[in-house]
Amino acid sequence: MARIELKDVGHCYGPAGGRLEDYALQPFSHVWEDGGAYALLGPSGCGKTTFLNIISGLVHPTRGRVLFDGRDVTALATAQRNIAQVFQFPVIYKTKTVHDNLAFPLRCRNVEETEIRRRVQEVAALLNLESSLKKPARQLTADAKQLISLGRGLVREDVAAILLDEPLTVIDPQQKWLLRRKLKEINTALKQTMVYVTHDQNEAMTFADHVAVMDQGKVMQIGTPQELFECPQHTFVGWFIGSPAMNILPCTVAEGGVMIKDKKVPLPALAKAAATAAGALELGIRPEFVQISDTPGAGALGVDIREIENLGNYNIVMLDLDGLEIKAKISVGNPLPDRKAFIRLPEKSTHIYASGQRLNPGT
Amino acid sequence: MFVLYRSLKYFVLLVWSAFVALPFLWALTTSFKTANGVVSGATYIPWLQYEPSLEGWKVLFRGEGKGIDIITPYLNSLTVTLSASFISLLLGTLAAYGLSRFSWRAGPIRNADITFFFISQRIMPPIVLSIPFFLMLRMLGLLDSRAGLVLVYIALLMPIVVWVMVDFFNNIPRELDETAMLDGCGPLETFWRVILPNCKPGLVVAGLFCIVFGWNDFFFAFILTFTETQLLPVAIVSLNSSVTPWWSLSASSLIAVVPLVILAFVIEKYLSSGNLAGAIK
Repeated sequence: MARIELKDVGHCYGPAGGRLEDYALQPFSHVWEDGGAYALLGPSGCGKTTFLNIISGLVHPTRGRVLFDGRDVTALATAQRNIAQVFQFPVIYKTKTVHDNLAFPLRCRNVEETEIRRRVQEVAALLNLESSLKKPARQLTADAKQLISLGRGLVREDVAAILLDEPLTVIDPQQKWLLRRKLKEINTALKQTMVYVTHDQNEAMTFADHVAVMDQGKVMQIGTPQELFECPQHTFVGWFIGSPAMNILPCTVAEGGVMIKDKKVPLPALAKAAATAAGALELGIRPEFVQISDTPGAGALGVDIREIENLGNYNIVMLDLDGLEIKAKISVGNPLPDRKAFIRLPEKSTHIYASGQRLNPGT
Repeated sequence: MFVLYRSLKYFVLLVWSAFVALPFLWALTTSFKTANGVVSGATYIPWLQYEPSLEGWKVLFRGEGKGIDIITPYLNSLTVTLSASFISLLLGTLAAYGLSRFSWRAGPIRNADITFFFISQRIMPPIVLSIPFFLMLRMLGLLDSRAGLVLVYIALLMPIVVWVMVDFFNNIPRELDETAMLDGCGPLETFWRVILPNCKPGLVVAGLFCIVFGWNDFFFAFILTFTETQLLPVAIVSLNSSVTPWWSLSASSLIAVVPLVILAFVIEKYLSSGNLAGAIK
């Protein structure tokens, strides 16, 4: 268990000293607290795995330092870092039994055989692998193999962190849910620092206390699932998280409000925040917060209802504002106007972005 | 239909077995014949058709003061073949692992070029190597010695090992190495404790190539040794004279083939159980 600190860590697979745009992972600093459950979320190829490999030492960062509990481990080899990592595809020692697979990390550290047996028993009980301890590991199912990978991390009581690199990719949907719950349980019970890499927002949001959203080698935002949902700091986060994605509408600033397609929306605080900003302005609002009514009023925008998608307990309503598509997510119980409707954008749930970055209305 | 398939299967197997086994039986009967028994047309059944004699076998063990002593060359061949194969496997596997897992670079030369360099050693005809080998061994004072032959065979066998094993290692996912390192193994421990146990089929194939080549080689053994050290193939050929002694040649070939037959039985389980899938490409 350890507190993991990254100081200005960045990585470039090409020759060092290249342009910053060529970095697979843009330099950044962050601290993962001891015992926390973290997730790295982002589309494929955004640098998530590079990030993990830097922590585990499989990749040495081009720049920056990695600290475990304040100790600089940047130059240490993987074997000396005491990290456990579960890969996308189950990796097991095919020639060994389940017991020997779980015992291997301890044997590498010359732990006494009686102690090994005790630890393996404990971990096997935790992972429900007791009945297959004597079986050759290659005979197990994919999800059991992933549990073995995880178990090889758990047998070490002092493991610095457990890194999970899209561990549920090859698992059946039903098993996925069980395994994810198991992971969360283990994190709560053992207080191991866990970093979970995924491109699936549901996995990230349900597993982690803090999620880092990444895109093109850049960490866009780190926050609790609620923060990411309610207050995306970047249009990418708004777009990537939430289903359907956040509505992002090009806009301009006017006196006391924001203009969308020549229509003025009274959002004075946002307008003030954007008054001096440079770059293209965009308004962002989550479909959940768009209010629909059939009566016009102050600040309401007239729209056409294009399509209603019924998803069981709620409707996704596609609205047309002079050619701009806006989505709203409305509970099934709420009555919907027929074809013409009026929407309101509540200011506290609406954000304004300049060149993708959120502008804080407080300043 | 099933009966037909079965009979056909057994018929094919029978024909094939005869094809493989008859030469051995031929050699076996010949080895117990004398000159008369060999030249007077084909005979098969001892005592009825020909009078069996131990003449051919006695010659191999310096019976009655003449012939050769086959035991020393036999042991020489075993020693040279096994040591050369073992060292080639050891060095070749390590080299192959290095070529598969780490990046090497010397100017424009990269991993793939080094691997090809190894394989290219076997592309040129062996005859072009004979003079350099002769000169080099003479410089080292290793002509006509087992150590010299071991060196030469290592040079010839290692490319085969590297060739088979590089491909084999490339098919083992890198994550396995990474997992072993995460579990606390250094690079060498990763290789010995994790990667190598996963490579048994590849090692069996490479080892088989080495042993068969080393055991059968006549060319280099003939050129690089004279009187002190003699390997089995050379000893067998030296039996020949103006009157070809078919009986003793047959007997010696039978003895010579024994280790390879034993080897075939030992590795049979690998050969038959599909364990070699992916080992040879």
